[in-house]
Amino acid sequence: MERILHLVIIAFLLVGCRKEELKKIDGPLLSDLNGKFSVITNLKASRDSIDFVTNESIFFTAEFSKVSSWKLEIIGQKSGAIKEINGVGNKLTNSETTWDGSTTLFPIFQTEVCSARLTFTGEKDTLLTTINVNQPKINKGFVVADFESALNSGWSSFVQSGANMDFQVKSNNTAPQGGGYLNMAGTVDWDWLIGLINFKATAYGAKTFPLSSNPSNLYFNVLVWGEPSLNNSLVLFQFQEDENGDGNFSSNSEDMYSHQITINWVGWKLISIRYNELVALVNGTPAAASGNGVFEPNKLMQINMLHLANPKSGFAKAKLDYLIFTENKPLQP
Amino acid sequence: MKIHILILFTLFTCLVLAQEGKKVQFVGGARSILTASDFSSNEKDTITVGKTTGGYALIDLGIKINPNSRTEILGMFRINNAFGGFWGSDVTFGVRQLHVKGIAGKGIRYQLGNIDYKLSPYTCYNSNPDLILPSFGTTSIKEQIINYESFYKSNTWRQQGAAVDFVLDFSKSKDELKFKGFLFRLNPSNQGTLFERLYGGGSVVFNQHKNFQIGVNYANVFDVKETAQNNDVYRNQVTTLIYQYTYEFEKLKMELSGESGFSNTFSAEQKNAQLNDYFIHFKGNTMFKKTGVSLEAGCMDNGADFRSAGAQSKRIDFNQQNSSYQRFTNSQIVRPISYYDLYNDPTLYSMQFSTKLMDYNPAINNVLPYGIATFNRRGAYFSVNYSDKKERISTQLKYYRLGEIRGQGTPSLRKFDYFIGSVNFNPSAVFHWKKSHTIFLAMGYQYTNRMSKLALESIGLESYTLNFGVSFEMLDKLYFIGNTFWFKSNGNEILPIRDAKGTIINFQSTKIAGSENCLSGGLKFEFSKDVYLSVFYEHNTNSFMALNPYQFNQFQVVYFMKF
Repeated sequence: MERILHLVIIAFLLVGCRKEELKKIDGPLLSDLNGKFSVITNLKASRDSIDFVTNESIFFTAEFSKVSSWKLEIIGQKSGAIKEINGVGNKLTNSETTWDGSTTLFPIFQTEVCSARLTFTGEKDTLLTTINVNQPKINKGFVVADFESALNSGWSSFVQSGANMDFQVKSNNTAPQGGGYLNMAGTVDWDWLIGLINFKATAYGAKTFPLSSNPSNLYFNVLVWGEPSLNNSLVLFQFQEDENGDGNFSSNSEDMYSHQITINWVGWKLISIRYNELVALVNGTPAAASGNGVFEPNKLMQINMLHLANPKSGFAKAKLDYLIFTENKPLQP
Repeated sequence: MKIHILILFTLFTCLVLAQEGKKVQFVGGARSILTASDFSSNEKDTITVGKTTGGYALIDLGIKINPNSRTEILGMFRINNAFGGFWGSDVTFGVRQLHVKGIAGKGIRYQLGNIDYKLSPYTCYNSNPDLILPSFGTTSIKEQIINYESFYKSNTWRQQGAAVDFVLDFSKSKDELKFKGFLFRLNPSNQGTLFERLYGGGSVVFNQHKNFQIGVNYANVFDVKETAQNNDVYRNQVTTLIYQYTYEFEKLKMELSGESGFSNTFSAEQKNAQLNDYFIHFKGNTMFKKTGVSLEAGCMDNGADFRSAGAQSKRIDFNQQNSSYQRFTNSQIVRPISYYDLYNDPTLYSMQFSTKLMDYNPAINNVLPYGIATFNRRGAYFSVNYSDKKERISTQLKYYRLGEIRGQGTPSLRKFDYFIGSVNFNPSAVFHWKKSHTIFLAMGYQYTNRMSKLALESIGLESYTLNFGVSFEMLDKLYFIGNTFWFKSNGNEILPIRDAKGTIINFQSTKIAGSENCLSGGLKFEFSKDVYLSVFYEHNTNSFMALNPYQFNQFQVVYFMKF
C-alpha cells in the first residue's frame, strides 16, 4: 500500500513539473487575424532621398493592429515606373521592404520624386509618403543596344518595303528605359520577315562581344513590347559564334544559337534567357548545331534580331529596348 | 476468369491436403443487405433522386491450412454481388486477407502478411473517438458491419508486414520477459516524390509474479532514404514506459497503472519545425469484489507537440464526402458527414493510419478527437462501474475534466468537460422471465469553453448524444429491437487550419446549431450467436444545416453470418 502511495506521489510530481506553456501559442494570433484594423505607426521611409549608384539602400516601416495582406507601391512621379512589394503581417520591416531601385512595372525609374503607397486587402486605409531618387539604379552588364540615339552605324539592317512600315528609333516617355526604343511595324504579305538588325561585335570595337566564357551564368535580356489587340509578331534572336577566330561566320561549320519570342502579351515585358539554354534551329525546329556544339559566348561575333510575322496575319507591330547581357543572374531592372 | 481458376485451384489444393492428413478449415462470413432509402429536404429539389434501392450479397471464404501443428496459412477471398447485376455483371472478386503464422523453434511466434496489431494506447492503438457511445440494437448491427469491413478488433490496426513475439521464462521466480517486434509497410514509393514509408518497433515487458509489470514500447514511422527523388524523409518516433502494479486483498483489488513517454517528429530538411514533447498518464483502479463496484481515477498530461501516428490516427477523416446522397437541393450543396452516416457508411472508414492530423467534427468529439492520446490535453478523469452479479443491471459512468496546455491563436486555454455513461438493464433477470429482454441507455455530454476578454477568441460548445434501445424476445430467438439515437450540438468553435506539415496557419470560425434524431425499430431473428437475420426501419432527421434540414429514412434487411 505504501508503495502505491509513493508511486502516486511521484506521478503527481511529474505532472506538476511540466513546463509552463502560456507564453507559447500555436498558430497566428486570433486578435491579429480577426481584430479591428487600425494604423499604429504611419508609413515612413528610412531616408528622404536615395542614390542607388552609390549603393545606398532604403526601406519602409509601418505598424498596424492585425495581420493583414499589404501592398507597398513605389511610383515614379515622372516616369510612371512602379515597384511593388507584397507581404502579410502586422508590420513592415527592413527585411521585407528594402528597395534596391528595381522596377516591377516598366518603365524603369529615373531621377525623380517617387510616391510610396501602402494599401491593405479588405481595408480602406491608404498610407502615403514620398522619397527622392537622386540617381537611379545602374544595371551591371554589357549593353548591346538601348536605342537612346539613332541606329549605330556599325550595325546593319534591312527593312521590307511593305505597307505602313516603321522600323526606327523613337523617343518619347513610353520608353521603358531611358528615352528611346526601337519601333518595328508594318504589313508584309509575301514574307515572314518584316525587318532585321545585325548587331555586330565590330561596332563595339572588337571581333567578338566582351562576354564571359561561361555560358551557364551569362544571361541575355531584352525588353519587348506587345501591342494591344495584335499577337502575330515574332522576334527571333540569332547568336553567331566565330569558333575559328577568322572574323567571319560560316553557317556550315560554326554554331549559331537562337531564341524565338512569340509576343502574346500587352505592354513591356522583360525576357531573359541563359546563354546555354539557347537552341540551334533549322527552319524553326531544334537541331544539332553546325559547329562544335559548345556554347562559347566569348566567341560571339554577331547578334541578329529579326522581326517576323505570318504574311497572312496582316499588320504586325512590336517594340524593343535595352538589349543587355548580365552575369550570374537575369536582369533585375 | 482468372479468379475462377484460382478458386478452383485453391479448393483442389485443399482437397489434396485434406487427403494427406493436413488440417484444412473453412472460415469466413457472409452478409446480405437490402436497402430502400427515402431522402427529402424542405427546399425544392428537382435534381436529387430521393428514393433508391440497393443491396448486395457477399461471401468471404477463407481457407485455413495447418500443414503442421506449428504453422497456419490463411487465404480469404471475397465474392460480392451487387443486387441488380445478373449473370456475373456487378460481381467483384478480391482477396480479403492473407497471412502465414506459426511458431519457430522453442516458442518464437511469427506472423507474415495481414496482421491486426496494437501495442499500447500511446504508440499503436486504434481508438474510436467518433462513435462515443456503446451501440445497441440497430446501431449495434451497423457497427458490427463497420468493424467487420475495416478489421477493427479490440483497437487493432490492420497492417501488412511481419510481427514476432516470444517470452523468456525465469522458471524459479515465475517472472517472465516478453518481447515483441514488428515491421509494417505503410505505403510504397512512387519512384518520384513519395518515399517508401515503414512502421516498425516493438516492446520489452517484464512481468513479476503476475502482479507487477513494467516495460518499454517503441514505435517509429520512417521513410526509407533514397526511395524518392528528394531527401526530405519523415520520422515519428514514440518511446513509452508502461507499468502496472496489482495488489489484491480479500475484499478488494487495487491496481495502479500508466504509460509515460515522449515523441520526436521531424522531416530531414525541415528540422526547425521539429516537434518534441512528452506525456504522462497514470490511473488507479479499485474493485470491491463483493459489491461489483469498481472505481477508477486517472491523470493525463499529453504535451501540445506530442505526436504518435499509430495512436492519434482516426478511423474517419471528416474531410471527405458521403457515398450516399452526397449532394442535395437544386443548388446541389454538399451534405456533410452526419452521425447517421458514421453508422450507415462503412466506406468512410480507413484501415490505414495517417501521419497527418486528420480532420474531426468538434460537435461529435471536441474533447478527445484523437482518442486518449490526443495532444495538448491535461487533466483528470474519474469513473464508476457497477456490474450486478445476477446480471440484472450493469452501468459505466466516466467523467473527464481536461484543459489545453498551450493556446491556439491566443494565450487563453480551452477547458473541457466530458461525461459518458451507459446503463444496461435486464428485467428478465429481475422478474425471472424465461425470455431475454434488455433495456439500454447511453448518453454523452461534452462542453468546451474558452473564456477571453476578446469576444473573437471566446468559445462555447455543448454536445449531447443519447442512445436508448430496447430488445424484447417475443418468440424463441425472435427479438423486437428499437432505438432512439439523438444528437444535439450548439455553440461555436474556432478550428485550426493546418498546412501539409501540420503547422497551424489560420483558423476557421464555426457556428454549430442543430440536432439529429434517428428512430428505428424492427425484428431480429438469431439463428445462433453469430448468425442472424434482421429487418428494420429507420427514420432519421437532421437539422445541422439550418437552411437545409433533411430527412433520410431507410428500410433494411440484413443477414449476417460468421463461421
